[in-house]
Amino acid sequence: MLPEFASVIPESKERALACLTSLENVKVFAGGTDLLVKMRRGESWSHIVDITHIHDLKGISAYDGLIKIGAISTHGEINQDHIISEMSPSLSRACGWVGSPAIRNMGTIGGNLVNASPAADSLAPLLIHDAHVVLESKDGVRRMKLENFIIAPYKTAIRPNEILAFIELRGLPGYREGYIRVTKRATWAISRLSIAWAIQEQDGLYKDIKVAIGSCTPMPFRPRNVEESLQGKEKNNHTIQAAIEEILDEIKKISGIRPSFAYKMPVVKALLGEILTG
Amino acid sequence: MIGQDKERIDVIDKVLGRPVFAGDMKKEGSLFAVVYRSERPHAWIRGIDVRKVTAQPGVVRIITAADIPGQNRIGAIKKDQPCLAEDKVRYIGEPILIIVGETEEAARTALRFVEVDYDDIESIHDPFMAERSSTLIHQSSNLLSHRKVIKGDIDKGFAESDVIVEHTYRTTWLDHGFMETEAGIAYLDDRGRIVVLSSTQNIHYKMKEISRVLGIPEDQVRVVQATTGGGFGGKLDVTVELFLALAVHYTKKPVMMRFTREESFLSNTKRHPLYIEYKTGAKKDGSLQAVKVNIIGDTGPYISYGETVCLRAAVHSTGPYEVPNVYTDSRMFYTNNPVCGAMRGFGVPQLAFAHESQMDEIARVLTMDPLHIRMKNGLRKGSRTATSQVLYHSAGLLDTLRKIEPLWKARKKKNDGTGFGLGCMYYGCGNTGISNPSRCHLRLTEDGKIAFHSGVCEIGQGSDTILLQILLETLKIDENDVVLVRGDTDTSSDVGSTSASRQTYISGRAVYEAARSCRAFLERKGYYQGRSLADIYPEAQSEQNLIFDGFFDPPTTKLNMETSEGTPYATYAFATHMTEVSVDEKTGTCSVKKVYASHDVGKAVNPRLVKGQIYGGIAMGVGFALMEEFIPEKSGSLDNYYMATSMDMPDVEVFIVEDEEPTGPFGAKGVGEPALIPQAASIMNAIQDAVGVRPFQLPCHIERLKKLIEEKKE
Repeated sequence: MLPEFASVIPESKERALACLTSLENVKVFAGGTDLLVKMRRGESWSHIVDITHIHDLKGISAYDGLIKIGAISTHGEINQDHIISEMSPSLSRACGWVGSPAIRNMGTIGGNLVNASPAADSLAPLLIHDAHVVLESKDGVRRMKLENFIIAPYKTAIRPNEILAFIELRGLPGYREGYIRVTKRATWAISRLSIAWAIQEQDGLYKDIKVAIGSCTPMPFRPRNVEESLQGKEKNNHTIQAAIEEILDEIKKISGIRPSFAYKMPVVKALLGEILTG
Repeated sequence: MIGQDKERIDVIDKVLGRPVFAGDMKKEGSLFAVVYRSERPHAWIRGIDVRKVTAQPGVVRIITAADIPGQNRIGAIKKDQPCLAEDKVRYIGEPILIIVGETEEAARTALRFVEVDYDDIESIHDPFMAERSSTLIHQSSNLLSHRKVIKGDIDKGFAESDVIVEHTYRTTWLDHGFMETEAGIAYLDDRGRIVVLSSTQNIHYKMKEISRVLGIPEDQVRVVQATTGGGFGGKLDVTVELFLALAVHYTKKPVMMRFTREESFLSNTKRHPLYIEYKTGAKKDGSLQAVKVNIIGDTGPYISYGETVCLRAAVHSTGPYEVPNVYTDSRMFYTNNPVCGAMRGFGVPQLAFAHESQMDEIARVLTMDPLHIRMKNGLRKGSRTATSQVLYHSAGLLDTLRKIEPLWKARKKKNDGTGFGLGCMYYGCGNTGISNPSRCHLRLTEDGKIAFHSGVCEIGQGSDTILLQILLETLKIDENDVVLVRGDTDTSSDVGSTSASRQTYISGRAVYEAARSCRAFLERKGYYQGRSLADIYPEAQSEQNLIFDGFFDPPTTKLNMETSEGTPYATYAFATHMTEVSVDEKTGTCSVKKVYASHDVGKAVNPRLVKGQIYGGIAMGVGFALMEEFIPEKSGSLDNYYMATSMDMPDVEVFIVEDEEPTGPFGAKGVGEPALIPQAASIMNAIQDAVGVRPFQLPCHIERLKKLIEEKKE
């Protein structure tokens, strides 16, 4: 049973933005796989604006190495998309693991980002691609780094009159890229932890490294100073172990020591070892 | 018919989506009832304020304990549980009052306006606390039940042992997770009787409870089983039935109910968490000398099937092995945790985890092969069980092991994480040491058919098909000449519950008996020489020979209260599972790759349905072993209570052993619970084989397994 609400299904972005400005106590519906659960638990809004019929917000395209993902692309669509599987295999894999088939067919990447769960599978891959979100309102357009967009778990910089319109990310050609996650069962599970990576190597040296770790810190994060310090370093066991220790320290610095770390730290350590070794 | 893969008789209907499940039933003008449940684990109720509730639109009636016309006490074994709380609540989720609304929405909305004034009492959430605390959950001791199994001389047994292995094992609460939540509909029929249709495993028990709580004769109540979407023991206790009956009693209108998944999680009985101290002694040659077990269980605040689990766990505590000296203590304590009840195996899956781990540990100490040590000690014809029952027939454990033996010998580790494990079990079919009969009636109808009156609840396991096969085989009659009349207290006798792996064995035999008596009559009347049933009918009617009864009560004895000596079950099922796992040491992830399941079912009436039970049991066993963990107040729905999915399911190969049971229909026993019992145990043994660590706590989820692996490194 859901609380009572009035719904609007605009077919244009302009109309949706107008609704967001003019209606009281309004919430955007972008697939509903989180929103309906919240509403069933008693959260309520007077007006629901369903943006999943807006053509302008659909579709995935690439131009000059820049990928543009319409916010109402479902996880299933992203997982199946050839541009994504070629230019961001980590995101492709991650979207293929979100929830269940039903959730992947209903839930959208825009909704996923605005919900901002720390365990969201898409976040770590987007972070290694330095993704930006594009927010639109009647007042204009804002383009923002994903890292700045998400302020805290379940909290973003989106304004009530804004729509997350699309997501931009750069492909990483020449990188070895991947995504791994650990769950309590084979599928239909929330990630206990996840890692996305893109690594460029040359002649036994690390040229460039991008790593994002999910579900260890309040939000998935990139250990940027470790990434930088690895640049140009020789790929050997000593370098790898030192880098891993630094990353673990970084995690503890951000989160403090949590009970779950008894499990997570040894696992992150083992997985990073495998990832950096390649 | 017997031994054939007959298609389930409901298969076409199910595939076409035709059956009407309890939650789908509608009746013109139905009201909707909901239950207000306690938010406190242990408290006096000082007052209930429903003034705001009655002011809500669409609220038709509120029913509290004071409105109960008959006895406000229910229970499958003993009547200790109030249908609606009186002055005290003893767990979070205990029903306090019923709200009947014009619609589901009106009723659910009104729930929010109930105000209960509680006076909290210290609550007890642990059986060890329950033992020591001066706070009493009921009027006397917090100990519900204490049963012992004593055989031989335990001290002598250990003194004569060359090796002793001693460990403690723990299991936790599980939810049945049946697909269909509790639901039903009730109304008054044209004679003014209360009719309840619900998702259930036992119609006659529920009819009796309704009659007592409403204070009306049993013939004024009719309970019908709706198409039921799974039970696993969770629909043995009363769920919606009494609330529906009370609501109809007061409103005189049709009323429906349907629990949300959250409500089902909160209110339904759980598998008992058991704490098991286990000590095994053996000679150098591997022969078991002594087994000492101490079982402490948490039964929650009401009995449900707590005593049954207490005793059954004790009786099965040695596993399917002949042990000369046994001393088992089994105690069940009241707590303010969720009510624990029946769940596939009544405590035996928990014990199998312990005794099978012990068998492997003994074998490891003696550097014996795990299969060999089981062969050496396994129960066989002539063996004396822990209750000193001599097995004269149908004891096929060794045959189940022999089917597995070549695969076990040929096992090969593909990589570092591969491991293989064995699990054996035995399981008594039927209720423990008490009479638990079944009945069947066949009726010749005027239009020349045999009406097959069955009170057996088909809960998805296939009993309708199995019983029909037994009938057709015995009666030598065409399927089209049989009309199945089932699951209705008006048209059937009490057959007992669909539980304890008893329906094929016990009700199957009752069907067989009825069919034999009918067949003798039809033989006399020339049916097998070509006379039709319609021709025979007038004679049968004038001779008053229209109904043929069948009855069977398995021969058991009441167990000695001090030692449990006796014959708790007339027959036992036996099984061996061999499981291959792959463990990822980095993450602690265990995936189950392959299971070879070998079962002595006496006689497979329908091998395909036997396999179906085994596949389902293994899926449940994977969940029990690796992920299912109900945490009170945290596990609210399937969102955070993980059950195995098809992606967690291994390949399964089934071997059927048929060591016929003379008292069973065509030699058949049961397989419903046996399918589950050895699975978790065999996974734990496979984990030990894979990574050299021994899990002592279930579920062995990724975090527990990783912890064990890390500890081993240190």
